[in-house]
Order: sequence, then C-alpha cells, then structure tokens
Amino acid sequence: MQNKLISIGEAAEKLGVSVKTLRRWDAAGNLPSTRSGPKGHRYYKEIDLNLFLRNESALAEQWAMVSVGVIPLNEVYCPTRDVFQARLEKLQHLFQGVVSDQARYLLCAVAGEIGNNSYDHNLGNWPDITGIYFAYDISNRQIVLADRGQGILKTLKRARPQLASASEALKVAFTETVSGRMSEARGNGLKFVRKVIIENPFTLKFQTGDAEIFLKEGDSDIITFPSEGDIRGCLAIIGFENKI
Amino acid sequence: MIIELKKFGTTLVSRPSGKEAWLAFQPNLKDVTDDKDVIVDFADVLVLTPSWTDEFLTPLYDRFKDRVRLTNTDNASVRATLEILDKNRP
Repeated sequence: MQNKLISIGEAAEKLGVSVKTLRRWDAAGNLPSTRSGPKGHRYYKEIDLNLFLRNESALAEQWAMVSVGVIPLNEVYCPTRDVFQARLEKLQHLFQGVVSDQARYLLCAVAGEIGNNSYDHNLGNWPDITGIYFAYDISNRQIVLADRGQGILKTLKRARPQLASASEALKVAFTETVSGRMSEARGNGLKFVRKVIIENPFTLKFQTGDAEIFLKEGDSDIITFPSEGDIRGCLAIIGFENKI
Repeated sequence: MIIELKKFGTTLVSRPSGKEAWLAFQPNLKDVTDDKDVIVDFADVLVLTPSWTDEFLTPLYDRFKDRVRLTNTDNASVRATLEILDKNRP
C-alpha cells in the first residue's frame, strides 16, 4: 500500500524529526505533503517517505563498486559542479532544525570539500561516469558522496610516484599537504575534513580502491583497513549520529 | 578597503569559484594605495572551505602581506578553514 496516507505526527516519528521540521520542509518544497480532510491537515504518501528513508550509503556503495558504470537516479546525480553546488545549498536548508547551525555549516563544508575534490581530480579524466553521487539520509543521519573517478592512489602518484597502494595513498591524503594537480601548491582538502570530523561529534568512512579509514571525534591517528570490496574512485559516508 | 565576501555568495566551496572571485575582483584592488589595509569581511558567509579560500585569500596575502586583516570570522566553517590554512602557510 505505497499510496497509503500517513499523518504528520506518524511521518515525523518515522523520519526521526520534529513536526515543525516537516512543516518547514513542506513549505520549502523539500518533502511536500498532501492536504486532506475538511481542515486541510497535512498527510504524507508512504511512497514519498520510503524514498526519503532509502539506505543511501548502500546504494552509493553499490553504484561505486559495480564494474560497468551506470548513470545514477537524477535526484542523487550531480554531473557537474554547478548541480552539486545547488544541491549542497539545498542540503544546508534541509538540515535547519535537524542539527545546530554551526554543525550544519561544518557538515556542508566537509561535504563540499569532498565533492569538489572529486571534480578537481577527475576533470577531463573520468573513466566512465562523469560527476558524483550525492545523497543524504536524514533517518540514518548520513551524507553520502561517491565518484567513479581515478581514485586517490592514481591521483597522488603524480606527485608521489613511490606510492604503492591505496592504503598508503589514503594515509598521505589525510595527513600530508600534497596535491596531485601540477599547478597547485597545496592540497589541504582532506586535512580540513579530518580536522572537522575529529573536533566534532561526526564520523567519516572514506574508501578508495581496496582501502578505507574510519574517523570519529577525538581520533588522533589515521589507521587504514582493507575494504570488503574494491572501488576505482572514492566513497565517503559522513555521519552525524548525535543530535547536536 | 573592505572586501565583503558575502557578495561572492554564502556557500563558498570550490576552487574554480574562488579563482573566479579573485580574477573578477582584480579591478577593485588596483586602486589600493600602500598606506591602506585590506579588510576581508566574512559576515554572512555560511559555508567556507579551504579550497575556495586558498584561491582567494592566499593570493591576497601574497600581494598585500600583513596589510590583510580578517573580520567577522565567528562561523564554525570559517574558523576551521582559517585554522587549517594558517597551519599550512609556508
């Protein structure tokens, strides 16, 4: 019964947000309601809520991992930087009331830096699908970004030819100021991401190739792990589990 | 002179847009005399990253050195960005 109508109170409970937040999302067109009954109360279609509750990290991981690339669904696909910028600004509005203002600015900065890194390092060189996968999952409190680009090892090898594995490259990317782009003197992006994650109640899972890291508040070291699957590009899952 | 960054937008994240902002602002900088400070005002900037800032603020520092002053840097992403750029400035 995907067309079943659900009251605003039940919808708020299902999504883990307040009724006030749902009203604001409705007004902004982020999650439109259906008006029903003599008083025009807000109701939500079950199908809309289920779409909103999709497990975005699993979908993005699958997209990044399959051997033959496919264009993602329109609502999560940012073929160009301009589309990504517009969706990042939408995310910033959507998170109003879900997390504190300072937290949402920081989360958007981290997502912005990771997403733009994908464009910076793959411009003109995307192996199959151009652009990035960008989604958020309010109920699981996650922001997900993925690309099917060249991956950090190949990018950093231009500056550090001695790098031999994705694990080494990942460690360098998060700890040293180095850029694989010829004209760039600095590469601060992932150092910034690390700083924000470990200084706030956020988490980050970042995978490239066959290696990944997991960062959380208070972490001082970068420890890489072998991944379950291999991806060519990058996959980042930013968590903000704690209501802040 | 005062540079109000909000005039470039409130979500300043990418390198190309930082570079574009720097290039577009060049005509305004040519009249800054040697005795004048250059004040960068971050008021109303909501989301800032090192990528955007590196393309705008780093060449500004290179050109005007200690005459560059920063104001209204309370936003958390502004503070985090400035800290990481300060730490890595040669």
